[in-house]
Amino acid sequence: MSAAEDATGPVERVLAAIAGRAEIAQRLEPPALDRLLRSIVQATVELFDAEAASIALLRPDGRLRFRVAAGPHGQGVIGLSVAVGEGIAGYVQQTGQPLALSDVSSDPRFGRDTAARTGYMPRSVLAVPLELEDQVIGVLEVLDKRGGAFDLADLARAAVFARQAAVAIDVVRVDRAVARLLADSLAALAGEAGAEISPEEAEAIIASSGAVAGKPRSDTGDADFWTFVDRLARLRSADPAHAALVADLLEVAVGHLPGRAAGHASSGRSWRDRVTAEELGE
Amino acid sequence: MTALSGAAASPPAWSEPFEAAGRAGLGRAQPLALDRAATFGEADGAGVTIAIVDSGVEAGHAAVGGRLVASVRVEIDEGRIRILDDDGRDVVGHGTACAGIVHALAPAADLVSVRVLGPDNRAHGLAFAAAVEWVIGQGIGIANLSLSSRRESLFAAFHDLADQAYFANTLLVGAANNLPGPSYPSLFAAVVSVAAHDVPDPWTWFYNPRPPVEFGAWGVDVPVAWRDGGRIVATGNSFAAPHITGLAALLRSRYTGAMPFDIKAMLAATANHGGPA
Repeated sequence: MSAAEDATGPVERVLAAIAGRAEIAQRLEPPALDRLLRSIVQATVELFDAEAASIALLRPDGRLRFRVAAGPHGQGVIGLSVAVGEGIAGYVQQTGQPLALSDVSSDPRFGRDTAARTGYMPRSVLAVPLELEDQVIGVLEVLDKRGGAFDLADLARAAVFARQAAVAIDVVRVDRAVARLLADSLAALAGEAGAEISPEEAEAIIASSGAVAGKPRSDTGDADFWTFVDRLARLRSADPAHAALVADLLEVAVGHLPGRAAGHASSGRSWRDRVTAEELGE
Repeated sequence: MTALSGAAASPPAWSEPFEAAGRAGLGRAQPLALDRAATFGEADGAGVTIAIVDSGVEAGHAAVGGRLVASVRVEIDEGRIRILDDDGRDVVGHGTACAGIVHALAPAADLVSVRVLGPDNRAHGLAFAAAVEWVIGQGIGIANLSLSSRRESLFAAFHDLADQAYFANTLLVGAANNLPGPSYPSLFAAVVSVAAHDVPDPWTWFYNPRPPVEFGAWGVDVPVAWRDGGRIVATGNSFAAPHITGLAALLRSRYTGAMPFDIKAMLAATANHGGPA
């Protein structure tokens, strides 16, 4: 247990929690996620000796978008999106059940349109859901195993890869949760300082997080925000007194941030919108 | 879950004991010696009612043979669970597929559809539990459950229902989840749990004395009925379970006093030998 976790006040505990998450989040910036997902589909192709493997993720707009792919016939699918319920991936996304089809072309459930758009028409498909707790967050597909039809053991194997992908994505969601936690805790801090705070004001505070980090907020990205997070992350190894001091300072800073007023005026999308729209930093 | 095996370190599919390579491990000293042909005789399922708890059953589908005698659906309305009359339709095709498999094996059995799955092939766990409770309350002899819930919070409810069914003489036949992991009520001992094997024969089934899944039936590339009078070729434990349901219906029609444990024992005793005899 680190020193920061020994801190007992509610504010210190929140800060300790943020710091712990921030530390993890920093190691998993979106490019790292893509690399990880790519390595998973690459391994899937090799293990199954398949023509292609891909991972599609559910986006906030409710569509399923193919994020990474591997194999000689995999690349055409990247960037393609399908509606939930549409095609094989859409079916698995919708039902949460894996699907193995020996002859795709003879199955009336699935139109040929989606496959045609990728430029590759598979004969056999194995598709398994990427699940986090009770939610299906995406689909792993394997196309055309060269050694013959997919069997039930293949299904279980593919599920292992799907699980890995889901865990990787979950960690990045923790990254996003840092931002949310930060907003909530700052709002709580402001609340403890005696001020009633609305969600809009909380967002305004976050919009000004660059000021907290000692830098002006840039219009072009999250760099300042992450600098701030970086500093918070260091709290993990701070002693309780230090953490408490930072908490006090933050409390004061929040109470005097120009951003609390300016945030409303600064139009454009808040970090919450941006996080949602980018969907795991795409 | 058992130990990982092989370089790929993949957990075994729940169907693994029933795959060709795994079946050799299914042998055991049989406490009951039953001849399959003599045990089943000319049974056709007459007098037995089977509930298909699923996505509905298409009453007019040729594969159902006009045996659908009732249809209900479970609705959850502001927290209240209601069982309503339903028209004989299937919002997915999944229930009709199961009904067709059962009917092919037990052509004289009556079928009752209990619809809990929505058009997205998903069910509310509570609706599923309510459906099982309703089936038990109706005194229906067999329920085919080609679905399962992974909600840990429903463990106790399903455990209680499995016991209720057992003592009320309603045989629950449940498909194991297609992906390894706990799912209810298929894991409970009072339930006949089923995973898929790939031998294309409705009359080939295996008994596995080691949990979590007791029976293996045909579930790979099975030609099944689907909605709107259609047919597809489907794979999954969902299509293995109705094979065992159909066989259980035959036994129930022949041995009217049989309890769930009698039927399970007969199914185990007449199962195909897994390994070299």
